[in-house]
Amino acid sequence: MSKTPSLDRRRFLAVSAGAALGASALSACAGSVGNTASGSGSGKTTLTVMTVQNEWDKNALKAAEEALGMNINVIIWDPTKLNAMLAAKNPPDVVRGFGATETPYFAARGLMTDLDPYFAKSSALKVSDLDPVNDVWRYDGKKQGAGPRYGMAKDYSQDSMFWYRTDLFEAAKLDVPSATEPISYDEWLDLGKKLVKRRLGKVKVYGLNATGMGVFPQLMGMTASAGGSLFAEDLATVDFSSPEALKALQWYLDYAKADIGPSVTNPNPDGWDGPTYQANRMAMSCNGYWFGGLIGGDPKLAAASRFAPAPQFGGNRVSSCFGATGFWIPRDAKNKDASWKFFEWYFGGKPAQDRAASGWGIPSLTSLRSKMPQTNAFQKQAFQVQEQELPHFSVLSFTPYAQQAALEGVLTKVLPGAVKSGTPAGKVADTLNSRMNEQLAQGKELVG
Amino acid sequence: MSTGQITAPGAPSPSGEAAARPGPRTGAHSARGRRSLSSRRALSFYVFAGPWVLGFLALTAFPLGYALWLSLTNADGLSDNSRFVGLDNYREVFTDPETMSSLARTGIFTAITVPLTLAAGLLLAILVNQPIRARGVFRTLLYLPAVVPPVGAALTFKLIFDRDSGAANGALDALNLDGISWLMDPYARWVLVTLTLWGAGNAMIVSLAGLQDVPKELYEAARIDGANTWQSFSRITLPLLSPVLFFQVITGIIAAVQSFLPLLISLDPTPRGVTAVPEGNYLFMIHVFAQYFANGRYGYASAMLWVLFLIIVAITFLVFKLSKGAVFYAVDPEPDKQSRPRTLGGK
Repeated sequence: MSKTPSLDRRRFLAVSAGAALGASALSACAGSVGNTASGSGSGKTTLTVMTVQNEWDKNALKAAEEALGMNINVIIWDPTKLNAMLAAKNPPDVVRGFGATETPYFAARGLMTDLDPYFAKSSALKVSDLDPVNDVWRYDGKKQGAGPRYGMAKDYSQDSMFWYRTDLFEAAKLDVPSATEPISYDEWLDLGKKLVKRRLGKVKVYGLNATGMGVFPQLMGMTASAGGSLFAEDLATVDFSSPEALKALQWYLDYAKADIGPSVTNPNPDGWDGPTYQANRMAMSCNGYWFGGLIGGDPKLAAASRFAPAPQFGGNRVSSCFGATGFWIPRDAKNKDASWKFFEWYFGGKPAQDRAASGWGIPSLTSLRSKMPQTNAFQKQAFQVQEQELPHFSVLSFTPYAQQAALEGVLTKVLPGAVKSGTPAGKVADTLNSRMNEQLAQGKELVG
Repeated sequence: MSTGQITAPGAPSPSGEAAARPGPRTGAHSARGRRSLSSRRALSFYVFAGPWVLGFLALTAFPLGYALWLSLTNADGLSDNSRFVGLDNYREVFTDPETMSSLARTGIFTAITVPLTLAAGLLLAILVNQPIRARGVFRTLLYLPAVVPPVGAALTFKLIFDRDSGAANGALDALNLDGISWLMDPYARWVLVTLTLWGAGNAMIVSLAGLQDVPKELYEAARIDGANTWQSFSRITLPLLSPVLFFQVITGIIAAVQSFLPLLISLDPTPRGVTAVPEGNYLFMIHVFAQYFANGRYGYASAMLWVLFLIIVAITFLVFKLSKGAVFYAVDPEPDKQSRPRTLGGK
């Protein structure tokens, strides 16, 4: 006689708990990346790439899959999602990122794959061919620019340089900035004040946007240009109170108070300068060479636009890169060899050549430099200014103890009130030091 | 061998639905049958309840427990060096001025938006409950904003209220008036309140359903007795609608304290994900988000969420207590007692 097992509540809940854990495990398996595709039935490797939405259209994605002989699963780049995936130890195979500001943070936590062994074996990507900008993707545990390579830039720019519209300068009867000699930050601010157009409390045409890549990196660059450094040598603290940093901070407070362009007190709803600049609503835009890709796509805009060297505070000419956008391979990525194959194709193959010729940034391989566009007057001018600026390129080390978003968060909380109330820069500096250093200390405790 | 099934008297066959019918049973045979019937009923219950229980365990209980564990550590989610910190994070929640001010701001936001949304929803419901032509169209138009996803609504408001290119200042411009920085302090909080009220269609629909349940005979009797409109509203409509309004108060409070709209309205669309929420709109959940994803303080943010959870439970309990005597139930929730009007709390 068979005995039916009893199904009391306690037993049921125990079984349910087991099933729930099983289900979550199954779900985790389903969400794991980089494995051989089973759904497609092709037996091909599926490479999960976290990148921006417009990286590839449908046709380009298909072409990429054919070129690589693998399926590509695109995840839209999102820092929150990336952090969650890294925390779950289930990251994408390849991740888009900002080498200049992210490398120390992720490398210090051991989340990035050391690419030196791959470079050593590669015939498509030679270390000798790498532009020095790729050093922003290196971190030796103490400073950026040395140690293992953890990623590679797809292209780069010197992000304190700026573009301007000659038509708006002409309308304001102003001389255009020199193509060879950098203007001072004070002159730049004056130009912005003269170029701004207002009506009834609203800005109709911005004179200047001084922070295309974020406020914190811009303040880092300005401080360096004044001969100082925002971070201490061990990258564990910031000091906005030094004379150089204070100069930079005062400039930004003056800029925001002058209300001549997007700032922490009046953010640009578009989030970047492209649409505003295109719509004749911005006279000067602080963006690097990459912005020329947008301008070059519009002949009228190209005819009216010119490129200028990065403004300077002191005699120490510095022209930094705040992005060096590229890709890296997480430590826990499932398909590292396939990821490297992607690297060789993306950074050394046809996509790299196409990017170099497009004008959307300086190629990160020196062998591709000759492909930069120089056909029309606008492209020639931009290329010449960029060439003259390259010797002043510098790597400004970012801290491993906080993400840029955290430091920007402090700035966007402290600065609006300070601008509104006219708080002296010294007092603002003290508040920033206190808040940022507290965050950095918490990060340092975790990194060790 | 017996299968243990009991055949009820008069049942056509030992199997099928009729076999499960209760009926007189005798002896051991009957007792075994009762056990079997009970098992089958239990099995049915577990089969139907199972998916929910699984979902609860995997998607609610486990995350809650994990968050509780995280709240006792200084984890950042990415480093291997996190350690147990006991109740330090909870202590910090109550001593961090920024956290407490964001909590206070959230309380004020809730105190403003919940009554306003409730009143707006009720007013709209009364209006579209009138026998007017094309009222279906009005109902649809008024409900539409509630269907718009919050992200879309927030981005729309962001564009409308942009200082330099928004429609709101465009209208002021047409009147030769100065533009206003709507999305910065001190105006940002009112844009947020407006955005919240814009979605009052949800409250309208719930109140409308409640209004349509009020028996018309009561109004007719009141009219015969000489009651005016206000008396009919305050003595008939409001009491009969009170359970619906009470439901909206509870869900409204829970939604308001968890509001994420300020972040959406201030979202910086640059790939850096940097957010710039004005001080006036810096609510508790925004602070939680900043601690989690900008500052990487998973432990502290988890403690904040647990504190919020306990606050919501406490507020709900308090509202239930305070609502004693104010909520009128037309149907007794206890089926074994005679149906009679009663108030919450057993009065």
